[in-house]
Amino acid sequence: MAESSEGEEEGNLTGGNQHLVVDDDLREMAKKAAWSVSSCKPGNGVLSLRDDNLDTYWQSDGAQPHVVNIQFQKKVKLQLVVLYVDFKLDESYTPSKISIRAGDGFHNLKEIKAVELVKPTGWVYISLSGSDPRETFVNTFMLQIDVLSNHLNGRDTHVRQVKVYGLRLNPMPRQPFQFTSTELITYSTVR
Amino acid sequence: MDLLNEAEAALRPPNESSAEVPNGAAGHYLLGLIYRYTDRRQNAIHHFNQALSMDPLLWAAYEELCILGAAEEATSVFSEGASLCIEKQYMHDALSSKSSQASSDDHIVVPNRSLGVEDVSPRQLKDMHGYDVRDISRNYHGAASNQPLNGGPATFSFYNTPSPMATQSQLSGVAPPPICRNAQLNGPNLRAFGADSSPRSVVNSAVPGPRRKFVDEGKLRKVSERLFSDSRQRRSMRLGGESLVNTNSSASVASGNGTNHSSKYLGGPKSSSVVSRSVTIRKGQSWASENSDEGTHYDIYDDSRLDITTSSSSPRGDARSLEQEGAARPSGPVVVSGSRVAAGASEILGLLMILGEGYRLSCLYRCQDALDTYIKLPKKHYNTGWVLSQVGKAYFEMVDYMEADSAFSLARLASPYSLEGMDIHSTVLYHLKEDMKLSYLAQELISTDRLAPQSWCAMGNCYSLQKDHETALKNFQRAVQLNSRFAYAHTLCGHEYVALEDFENGIKSYRSALQIDSRHYNAWHGLGMVYLRQEKFEFSEHHFRLAFQINPRSSVIMSYLGTALHTLKKNKEALEMMERAILADKKNPLPLYQKANILVSMENFEGALAVLEELKEFAPRESSIYALMGRIYKRCNMYDKAMLHFGLALDLKPSATDVAVIKAAIEKLHVPDELEDEDAL
Repeated sequence: MAESSEGEEEGNLTGGNQHLVVDDDLREMAKKAAWSVSSCKPGNGVLSLRDDNLDTYWQSDGAQPHVVNIQFQKKVKLQLVVLYVDFKLDESYTPSKISIRAGDGFHNLKEIKAVELVKPTGWVYISLSGSDPRETFVNTFMLQIDVLSNHLNGRDTHVRQVKVYGLRLNPMPRQPFQFTSTELITYSTVR
Repeated sequence: MDLLNEAEAALRPPNESSAEVPNGAAGHYLLGLIYRYTDRRQNAIHHFNQALSMDPLLWAAYEELCILGAAEEATSVFSEGASLCIEKQYMHDALSSKSSQASSDDHIVVPNRSLGVEDVSPRQLKDMHGYDVRDISRNYHGAASNQPLNGGPATFSFYNTPSPMATQSQLSGVAPPPICRNAQLNGPNLRAFGADSSPRSVVNSAVPGPRRKFVDEGKLRKVSERLFSDSRQRRSMRLGGESLVNTNSSASVASGNGTNHSSKYLGGPKSSSVVSRSVTIRKGQSWASENSDEGTHYDIYDDSRLDITTSSSSPRGDARSLEQEGAARPSGPVVVSGSRVAAGASEILGLLMILGEGYRLSCLYRCQDALDTYIKLPKKHYNTGWVLSQVGKAYFEMVDYMEADSAFSLARLASPYSLEGMDIHSTVLYHLKEDMKLSYLAQELISTDRLAPQSWCAMGNCYSLQKDHETALKNFQRAVQLNSRFAYAHTLCGHEYVALEDFENGIKSYRSALQIDSRHYNAWHGLGMVYLRQEKFEFSEHHFRLAFQINPRSSVIMSYLGTALHTLKKNKEALEMMERAILADKKNPLPLYQKANILVSMENFEGALAVLEELKEFAPRESSIYALMGRIYKRCNMYDKAMLHFGLALDLKPSATDVAVIKAAIEKLHVPDELEDEDAL
């Protein structure tokens, strides 16, 4: 499981799950988003980030920081970003310092999370919640994942897959709270 | 084949010129279907009524009328006058059959939709042998008359349509017998058919769901002939469900061949000599469909299937001989059974009446009445697949999911291969969150019939329960592909689109469901929900109201209507609606919760708290109740209680968003009154 050392503002994430396990509450939000990258090597472009294939990867081809931009059509509540990176396969291409920014567009992105990976091998979970319990979700138009540096001071980076998770639709509209018990859920909709 | 225009053209010219539609009742029925599919409701109703008046046993026509919401009381349709009508037809048939024996022609074109009754004669079964059998709906009448007599008077429905009249074929032959194939019946004659490889030779009272059987018409007639003259056995038939299933699925069959090869056959009734007349009575299409209603007792035996599947060669030979035999004999039975016809007819009609009334009421969503009507059926008929699945459906409409589940399970036991109503069963399981049962059901249905939309609906429901909405959507789209006239599949697609937040497509799907069946209240409700989310409150109220008008029994619809009224600020009406919802269904806690919501927004805190206390009894581990109470206490400035309730709510593991909201609420608990009650923390 991805762990972050408590108490530090920049969490250190080690390890990495082999399997992607996400809460039922969340769903992948970025299918309809616009993905772009700052640079890429031909053949290893942005498509490889979203193709559900862990063998294909995105390789950057420019100056650091390497950036992945995700733009949504409307403001979405996001909670979790999951990356698949593998030190064993990518060695010096593996990202090390990652910063996540959010905002309305390129002009007003603000950093909301910074993590440092230490030899990760698998899915790495980056939660977007602030320390404040009120801020479990980030409500935003755009998300940017910056790779600030790589392991072993590599220049370019490989990222194999990225997924972004946010809230599921409330099955009952205009309801202040969601139902949790079967008695209420059974009767909550007409199907 | 969807060539509705051509079909209509074929059937109509005679209508205009001579005021007679070819094939009488069946012709009217087909014409009615065509009008229904092209949305010409009045014409459709008119034709179905005509069909019924010409042939009161044409259950399928009655069923369509019910679906259109325009059926008359079953008592008037299936009345005494009807039995006289039948008797006349029978007599006429018997006479005509004698003369037309020789030239009976064996091409019964498979109609695209079964004309009401899916009779499967044992003969047909034989031919079917699992090959390329075509679905044939036929009426069996005592006499297998053939084309030349088509133009004859009253008894149109009993005539075989010559193949050129592609859209329908009617077989007049002995109705009941075809199905019955039980060992005895088949014994002497059908011995040749050998044992079918199909494992279902178990004769059990549970009627296997009839499936459409594709049979070679030619054989059909012969068989019916044979059966007619055959006066051996008694029939105890539990056709009921089966035939109905067939008929009901006729819509899906509409696509013609092929869909369900694996249909099961209705067990052939064994007819005793006495019974044989009732057999003939069956002529009405209703026969097959209606379930054992035939008034006599039939046992449906799986054997019948067996017979059918045996090779066609022997049957042919047999059929020939039988036919001749039949030809030679009609006089005898005809004479004898003349007087019994009336008796048999009235029995059948009595049965049809009850079933018809029940079906009509359930289409009007007067579910409790429908249930009461079905109870009146004798035990044997009640326990058939069709009736039980109708019962299950009625409970479902009343939002009584537990009862519905038990009724459907019984239906599955009674006819394990019947697909009728199984899509509703899967929805019931979805509501009850029984994912294991649901996946089991889905697997079984798919293995029973891969090409039926109901199986894919069940599968889709299974995925949807797992929150895998994309796969669920794919499954529902497959169901739509298989039968684009199956309204429920469209509605389910709509639900999945909405869950994926694709409101455009969701609305499109709901609308296509409504185009197919404008009385499909689920689609109206779905549209209402979408508009609620999009905050188009008037639209949503309008749609919920429409859904409510169609199905006034569902407490869930009522409570949503109340919510919509509340958003339109019509709080009094909203409350009234909630009261009705609460009364309608004591077990449904939803309206109580909504009522509390409304009261809170009206600032009637004590009322809301009282309601919530009551709600606690229903669902003691529901975190949203405590959260709402916490909020109310906070508004009332009773911070310690608020704190307590928020804490309780958090303990009960609400969803992630709610955790955030509740925690935020806790933080802000003391914001307005910073200085007060720090200790209370």
